[in-house]
Amino acid sequence: MPWYAGIGVLLLAAVVLPPQFGSYYHYLAGLTLINVILAVGLNLLTGNAGQASLCHSSFMAIGAYATTYLVTKFGLSYWLALPIGGMIAAMFGFALGFPALRLRGFYLAVVTLGFLELSTILIQQLPDITGGVRGIATPRPVMFGYVFSSDLAFYYVILAVALMAIWVAYSLLHSPTGRAFNAIRNSEAAAQTLAVPLARTKLIAFMVAAFFAGIGGGLFASLVGFIDPLEFGIWTSVRHIVFIVVGGLGSILGSILGAVVLTVLPETLRGFKEYNEFVFGGLLLVVLMTLPGGLAGLGPLLWSRVSRRSGSASQPVAKAQDVNLR
Amino acid sequence: MKYFSLENLVVVFGGLRAVSNVSVSLGRGEIHGLIGPNGAGKTSLINSVSGLIPLKSGRILIDGQPIQNLPPHRRAASGVGRTFQHAEIFGDQSVIDNVLTGGFAHRQSTWLQDLLGTPGKFAAERRAYRAAEQMLDAFGLLQLRDALAGDLPFGTLKKIDLARALLGKPQLLMLDEPTSGMNDTEAQDVIATCKRIAGGYGVTLLVIEHNMRVIMGLADIIHVLDHGEKIAEGKPEAIQKNPLVIEAYLGHGSANHA
Repeated sequence: MPWYAGIGVLLLAAVVLPPQFGSYYHYLAGLTLINVILAVGLNLLTGNAGQASLCHSSFMAIGAYATTYLVTKFGLSYWLALPIGGMIAAMFGFALGFPALRLRGFYLAVVTLGFLELSTILIQQLPDITGGVRGIATPRPVMFGYVFSSDLAFYYVILAVALMAIWVAYSLLHSPTGRAFNAIRNSEAAAQTLAVPLARTKLIAFMVAAFFAGIGGGLFASLVGFIDPLEFGIWTSVRHIVFIVVGGLGSILGSILGAVVLTVLPETLRGFKEYNEFVFGGLLLVVLMTLPGGLAGLGPLLWSRVSRRSGSASQPVAKAQDVNLR
Repeated sequence: MKYFSLENLVVVFGGLRAVSNVSVSLGRGEIHGLIGPNGAGKTSLINSVSGLIPLKSGRILIDGQPIQNLPPHRRAASGVGRTFQHAEIFGDQSVIDNVLTGGFAHRQSTWLQDLLGTPGKFAAERRAYRAAEQMLDAFGLLQLRDALAGDLPFGTLKKIDLARALLGKPQLLMLDEPTSGMNDTEAQDVIATCKRIAGGYGVTLLVIEHNMRVIMGLADIIHVLDHGEKIAEGKPEAIQKNPLVIEAYLGHGSANHA
């Protein structure tokens, strides 16, 4: 089966299957796809451009509040508010890219942590805007008078946005700009001597990742129905990093697999009750220790096993890609 | 006035003068060699020209235009290319992606087109692939197209580095030991290919090479560095007989280079 047939089957399943299930699954599927958007964006920044970021959830928050206020206070259409929210997040991403021009690895991670702290403190200190601990109510999109109020209807909106996000990431990684991302992670010296501008490339990477997070945040707020100010803390950022590390750094497929598996798995592990997180943590460790390329490396690994057994040439196995933590 | 001139370049590391008042002029399309014992400052010289290490003083001119104050990527964009002693290959990328990155200076899509995936961007991408494949084919690497570069032997990485640099169609290409990690036949092949492609684009070459047989057969003019200073310049036959050069190599007991 050629690869595009596989993608076609998956797409068909994503469109046709959800109505067969209950409303809880519509919500879970929507949440999963939002996490896919967030993971794909973060992976471009961290997995490809090699820039550590602990403030992906801050960009989410910016997108969530911007989208919500543009609709509720300014009366903008949701379809305009969402991309504008993403652009506002991208502007903050652009600003945060400047420290990245001078800092690397752990130092950059600490700066992004500072930005995260700043944004969480602001959210807590501005209850008039953020609604304090009770949060604020969020809108659902409307099209030709039809309100996407059911989780199933809104799931299809999220699906469309997620597909666009994947398309953008795919196009980027098969372009000079995407190759520049990979070049600066591997060797800044070599990249520069090939005319790759370091500053510009890093700023683009931060902007793109923040835009993805802003869109994800806007959708997330609408899916949940209200914005919980405690949602956008360090734990959410760390979860995004876990998505891409477990899924496979620098790989779109990895972002998707990581986000899907790690969103769905905790739900299916409910049966273990209080051992839920124990099992979850154990599975994480097993994946990290046995699959250096993440879940996305599983395919090539199995393929090389199979083809070695049948005597044909083995494919090189994807290696764990280093994130510049120097 | 030659087309490229490096005038009185000085590079200082701490108190050490790694490159001391070195001047080199190259006419367009010429091939120059840069030799000298280990630690003579050859790599420091080309690092300072490509902008990876700062110049203390001196000027770098391309057709009379000074470029020594430009950042490294702008120097590359104005036609200064190079390869690396240790190849500096993007190890977790495929061979073709490594070489494609070399075409960055001549990209035909903007970053917004790259993001949106416009048809024009994909057409540009197909042209870039064809150019990169031709380059791989010229170096006999086409069958390694999709291999992960990090899994390949050093001699192959040097070829990828060279192919990557050539795809940027530089005006001045500085090669840092282009044939290390290769046997004699391979070395001759690579040099012949490089010369053919460079000649086709009108590229000027400045080559650091330890293999004396390669460099003597390749270069029009050879410059000799020792302790950061230029001690000789001339045609290969003259350099081989120059007493200063012989002393620099043999006098320090590094006879293996001579």
